[in-house]
Amino acid sequence: MGLLTNLKDSISRVTDGLFAADEPKRIGIYGPPNAGKTTLANRIARDWTGDAVGPESHIPHETRRARRKENVEIERNGRTVTIDIVDTPGVTTKVDYKEFLDHDMEKDDAVRRSREATEGVAEAMHWLREDVDGVIYVLDSTDDPFTQVNTMLIGIIESQDLPALILANKTDLPGADVQQIANAFPQHETIPLSALEGDNMDEVYTKIAEYFG
Amino acid sequence: MPHQCTTCGRTFPDGSKEMLSGCPDCGGNKFQFKPAGATADEGSTPAEQSSPTSDNRSDQSDDFPSTDFPSTDSQSTDSPSTDPQSTDSPSTNPAEAAATDDSAPSDSTPADAGPADSDTERAARTDPADSTSTPPDESTGTEHVNERSEEDVAQASTRSDVVSPDELDRASRPVDSESGADRQGSADPDAPRPDIGKLRDELNEQFESIRIVSPGKYELNLMELYDRQEYIISLQEDGRYVIEMPDAWGIQDE
Repeated sequence: MGLLTNLKDSISRVTDGLFAADEPKRIGIYGPPNAGKTTLANRIARDWTGDAVGPESHIPHETRRARRKENVEIERNGRTVTIDIVDTPGVTTKVDYKEFLDHDMEKDDAVRRSREATEGVAEAMHWLREDVDGVIYVLDSTDDPFTQVNTMLIGIIESQDLPALILANKTDLPGADVQQIANAFPQHETIPLSALEGDNMDEVYTKIAEYFG
Repeated sequence: MPHQCTTCGRTFPDGSKEMLSGCPDCGGNKFQFKPAGATADEGSTPAEQSSPTSDNRSDQSDDFPSTDFPSTDSQSTDSPSTDPQSTDSPSTNPAEAAATDDSAPSDSTPADAGPADSDTERAARTDPADSTSTPPDESTGTEHVNERSEEDVAQASTRSDVVSPDELDRASRPVDSESGADRQGSADPDAPRPDIGKLRDELNEQFESIRIVSPGKYELNLMELYDRQEYIISLQEDGRYVIEMPDAWGIQDE
């Protein structure tokens, strides 16, 4: 494990060297719908800039357009890391308006939301290809991480050689299983947190500075 | 003598491919068609020879004189007086393309096919026992092949050389929309409107990245979405996409 970490660190340093020093890196927050991406983005933005990124909701696909918060300055160990946070729509292979009907939504609204969510996924995938310098991959630690979407996205991120931080979110919920996520992606470091409660955010910031600084 | 060269008068049997490259005798490229039941000589009045005529042809016919069909337009292979099946060059005339859904090739002289005549003929076309010998049929060429005699298979193949499948499809659209209209009111989400269903299928073929299962229901191919250079920024109600092309990159903000 130590070897892997060292290897990753050196890769990280090499990729760091490729970036212009003063350009803030654009860090995409990716993950399946309802993993807590916007909650995390808001948590980071509020902690360091005082503003939020976007509305949070328990209804899936609340975020249907990528939202960016620029120049978030994170201070760690006497060092300041400036990043742009891109909160992306949840990535999925299927969008069905019927899942919104359970949330007291009219059919028309549900259909529109579904269409927008689909556009959002397309946009998120496009950003991943073109516009991000690193990825924070957020997973709901109460859900099974072995999904096609997770495997595919992590695979794409790896193929792009993008620095990636895997966060096991929602550790405040009963049934959270961080180890399951760590097992699913043993090649990456998994950080547990509760973005909602702010649990373990210190470690998250340290890792962000380490990975993307 | 279903086909007759209008220049030298040579006749060809129905379905003959001899005149596909023009009349072997005189090189003429204009023929008139005489159904088997109407073998009257060419001097007979066009009204007598009149056989089922498509609406398009009838409408168009007013532009052409009735008496000089051999010379209406010596260059044209798509003149109404010319049998569409005997033309040997691919037609670019939409009227002719439309006429191909009319299985009864007409030698009627256009000007005689007035509105009243058209109605009669249209009615006649619905009668399978039509005495003008050519089976009335508004369907597409595919069905022609099934229903017609061996000789007519040759005609069908001849026609297929001239008319592209797209044109046939376009010509048969009224039939489709009719059946589609019945479904329109139904709750079937797959086909709210017939052409939308078609459009969806087309789009699904072109854009494998997003499959529109039904309104509000999508399947996404993440790898395709990721691999595409351009990306889909907006899905329209009717199944269309708006995509951002690589050239426009950098313009869009957030």
